[in-house]
Amino acid sequence: MAYTELTVWTRGIIMDKEGRDIVNSIAASARNEGKFAQAMENYVDNPDRTNAPTRKYCRISDSEIENALTYENENPNIVVLVEQTMVKGWDYMRGMPPGGTLVINTQYTPDYMLRFVPKPERLAQLVCVDAAKLADHKWLYYRLGELGLDRLSTEGAAERSKAIAPDIAAPLIAAVVKTTGIVKMETIEPMIANKAAFKAALKELHIMPLNPVTA
Amino acid sequence: MATATAGKKKTVRINGCVASAQAAKYADVDVIAAYPIRPYTATMMALAQMVANGELDAEYIVADSEHSQLSIAHGAASCGARVFTGSSGVGVQFAFELYSPISGARMPVQMMIADRTLDPPGDFGSEHTEALSTRDMGWLMGWSCDAQEAFDNHLMAYRIGEDPRVLLPQMVCQDGFFVSHITTDCELPDPGQVKEFLPPYKHPYPLDPRHPVSHGPQIMPEQGPPLQLERARAMEGAMPVIEEIHDQFARIFGRRYDPWLEEYMTDDAEVVFFLQGAHGVTARHAIRHMRARGAKVGMVRLRTYRPYPTEQVAASLSKFKVVGVIETNMGLGSVSSGGSLYAEAVAALYEVPKRPLVFSFMAGMGGEAIVMKEFYWMTNKMIEAQKRGKIEKRAHWVGFEE
Repeated sequence: MAYTELTVWTRGIIMDKEGRDIVNSIAASARNEGKFAQAMENYVDNPDRTNAPTRKYCRISDSEIENALTYENENPNIVVLVEQTMVKGWDYMRGMPPGGTLVINTQYTPDYMLRFVPKPERLAQLVCVDAAKLADHKWLYYRLGELGLDRLSTEGAAERSKAIAPDIAAPLIAAVVKTTGIVKMETIEPMIANKAAFKAALKELHIMPLNPVTA
Repeated sequence: MATATAGKKKTVRINGCVASAQAAKYADVDVIAAYPIRPYTATMMALAQMVANGELDAEYIVADSEHSQLSIAHGAASCGARVFTGSSGVGVQFAFELYSPISGARMPVQMMIADRTLDPPGDFGSEHTEALSTRDMGWLMGWSCDAQEAFDNHLMAYRIGEDPRVLLPQMVCQDGFFVSHITTDCELPDPGQVKEFLPPYKHPYPLDPRHPVSHGPQIMPEQGPPLQLERARAMEGAMPVIEEIHDQFARIFGRRYDPWLEEYMTDDAEVVFFLQGAHGVTARHAIRHMRARGAKVGMVRLRTYRPYPTEQVAASLSKFKVVGVIETNMGLGSVSSGGSLYAEAVAALYEVPKRPLVFSFMAGMGGEAIVMKEFYWMTNKMIEAQKRGKIEKRAHWVGFEE
């Protein structure tokens, strides 16, 4: 693909870094591969509030990105839901061209999740990965106090933790990269802090093939 | 007083807000006066972390409002400190009372502005109206179009403003979101380069109990004219200094900016966009596409707004047949019923024998991105005016007309 858009839907504050790590690491890998890439947060979702839905964007292109100043990804080819309950009630499929990929962090199967997806006929595949389990993730709310204090992150100005994908972002990045080939495995893997979860995820993806786009 | 962390030249991927904070760090500021408002907030967050981590030794004062923020900046500068502050949107306006006293006292305070639309209604998007409304308060002022230019402008503004021939405060402006929250590559220099370019700041008459001086006293009316004349002369006198400092910057850092105007594909252009700030980035792409279709279109981007480069604007814009001013600011009830950039562009052209047709495009209001097809539409409007030989109207609202 000459131009790809990836949109990540996540929860404010508690999963903010996870969402940001996905777009930042994939954009950085693409740049390392010599492509043009941009990662950014949705400007009007920020400053985020705890649990409020927030979006993060990544754009990858073989040529210079001319819509760099456009606020939102209008036609996401790949959508990631960092938290499974977002599958209902949000219009995350809006603008997706046929042949898209949806990745969900969930313990459920694609069979079960598909019923909640609006306009699933645009999907070439639905990918479910139990990222929380693979990352040996403590129940998020135990960490709420710590994460709630990390307001520094809300504008992307500064990170308290410099590690990329130490937590549930790692399996999600593995799922995106393995099922879409958006960047090469060997360029992204060295960036990932939680290598165990990244590698485990590669073997534990639940992929449901749907409607491929015929060339 | 303060010491920046040492390190060699490196290229990083950062947004405009962080670039501004980095520039303040490299400039080794002594006092930071902060008060949160988006999109500037990210700059104060980044600086807070630098101070907390010991990367920057500066007094970090969180004020109770923008008015206090600028008052603190004024006071600190009076004591001889290098001061960094910043704001956005309504915050810029809440501090309005301080702008004239700071430039009148000839305090080279630096203020980062990440533009935000004024209320109503509440909007995070970028419009230049808030900073432009302070344009006649005696502050040097100019816009950047990406993180690197923002970083560079901050360093140059300190050097210009602190020059003993100038001694004026500076507003270093960048579009909210389009620059402030979009990451681009930014080369952070070797601290040695910055040391060579920007010597430690020394105000000639700081407040010091050992050498008492008066700052900002009440004066008699007859003392007003000479003081105002001096401030006006400082602004005019800044022009050769600005050129000199841009030369020095290019020599030391290897990046050369025209101090006044960036011209893009203007060599054989007949119609040009005249604008400032980030929309110049999209304009460049649109111009390349329009040229591929045969339109002789170019862009003139204003880099310095105060002092206004009257001669340079006249010399540049008079080369073309039609000038479309992309405003991204509100000049309600102004001469064009559009924005405020139009009036000064037209005034600068008044004495030119062969004037182009000039009109405003009201685009990007509320911080809306100006997209490619809008640039195409605007180009067509300019070409139509060129064929007709006269303007259709002084201000077009892009997206609301056929």
